[in-house]
Amino acid sequence: MIWQLDLILLIFLVITALISLRVRDLLGASMVFGIYSFLICLLWAGMGAVDVAFTEAAVGAGVSTVILVATVYHTRRVTGGHKRASGMKLLSLLLMLVLGGVLLHASGDFPALGDPTSPANNHPVAQYYIEGSYQDTKVPNLVTSVLADYRGYDTLFETVVVFVAGIGILAVIGVPTARMRREEVCGDTAQFGEDSDLIILQTCRLVVPVLQLFALYVIAHGHHSPGGGFQGGVLFGASYILLALSGGLREALRRLSESMSFRLAACGIVIYAGFGLLCMALGSSFLDYAILDSILPGGVAKARSHSMLIVEAGVGFTVTTILFVIYANLATRGKLEGGL
Amino acid sequence: MSLFFDLLSGSMMITGLVFFVGTVTGMLRFPDFYTRMHAGGKGDTLSTILILLGAAIHVFEDFFYDPLQWGVLLVMVKILAIAAFIMLTSPTSTHALMRAGFEDAHEADETVVDKDQDGPSLEELQSGTWEERS
Repeated sequence: MIWQLDLILLIFLVITALISLRVRDLLGASMVFGIYSFLICLLWAGMGAVDVAFTEAAVGAGVSTVILVATVYHTRRVTGGHKRASGMKLLSLLLMLVLGGVLLHASGDFPALGDPTSPANNHPVAQYYIEGSYQDTKVPNLVTSVLADYRGYDTLFETVVVFVAGIGILAVIGVPTARMRREEVCGDTAQFGEDSDLIILQTCRLVVPVLQLFALYVIAHGHHSPGGGFQGGVLFGASYILLALSGGLREALRRLSESMSFRLAACGIVIYAGFGLLCMALGSSFLDYAILDSILPGGVAKARSHSMLIVEAGVGFTVTTILFVIYANLATRGKLEGGL
Repeated sequence: MSLFFDLLSGSMMITGLVFFVGTVTGMLRFPDFYTRMHAGGKGDTLSTILILLGAAIHVFEDFFYDPLQWGVLLVMVKILAIAAFIMLTSPTSTHALMRAGFEDAHEADETVVDKDQDGPSLEELQSGTWEERS
């Protein structure tokens, strides 16, 4: 890690954060926010948290910018013109300053980055993960084994949170009547990207399959390199969003309809939780993959490794489809017609 | 031979940086939206690809001296794949932006408009009022 580079990145981070707050044009603000996410991603990569950096690059800098732009497109583009700061704003500014000061003060007590004697690195659990993970699971990427095996509960409920987010967005802005009408509209065979630009269309046609293949690689190769269900799922969802952006939302929905999305999303969670229940059925505790040794080939450690792959695939299903549903609903105000 | 690789990759990266400086200068100094995008699209693509190629050559050097390091070659292939991806997507995104600006009726700066030209003006093209004279 090079501290000069980190310093520059941190300075830019603060600058972009301030700009995204100051800019009146919300479209510009969301783009600056994308830059902010990307800078954070670089910082995390510099700290060695490559998995987190990957997620931030895919979600923060990529998809969430698109989702923010879609939202701004349907709401007001400029923030309300309060020329003078109201009392409430001043109060919150004061609170923020106090809070920030306290946090800044407390940050002096942090152990140095990578300090081997820090409590986090000395905890017996962390020690166990670092030393025993490979023998236990035969997965070289510690992050994946901790995420999908040792702390499988967390990941299961994270996936459920993603699913609930999709349902929430549908509940808030979904339009039931237009939804039914759309099912008929989708029946006709309109040409792919009739009214879109040829160059953009062809490039996206080239890129989308590669992107989807890469997403599958990220899910499957998460055991050995940064990646996994969340990152791969986001990439896969992004490929559908790209399809919707270039060739029209209707075409993307023809390939992955909303009802099918929700079915697949639920499938993902059923795969994950069902795998946990399978462990229970075989006489062990929930999500204790070691017992699956009797079904899966290759010994206890390999059984855990394979279980992780299946669980990650479940996460991938949910994340992919929910991201696409969120985009499709936000871009059309829940009507699922037209789009950006 | 090591010097050869270092010089090659170093010069590529430095050329890339020079083009980046050109890109930034163009984005800041050019008079209107279209010329700025022109600078951004061309310079950004070329400089990114040059820097990536420099990195790929730098990685290839390790493989050159020890051909048993297949992992290193894989890294190089990945870098080249990124370069190919940039080459495809960066001009396309510039085109998309330019197109959006065109449809949003962005005006061209008068210093870059060729007034003697017989063709249509930008406004005529944008509003669709221009018809080709036979």
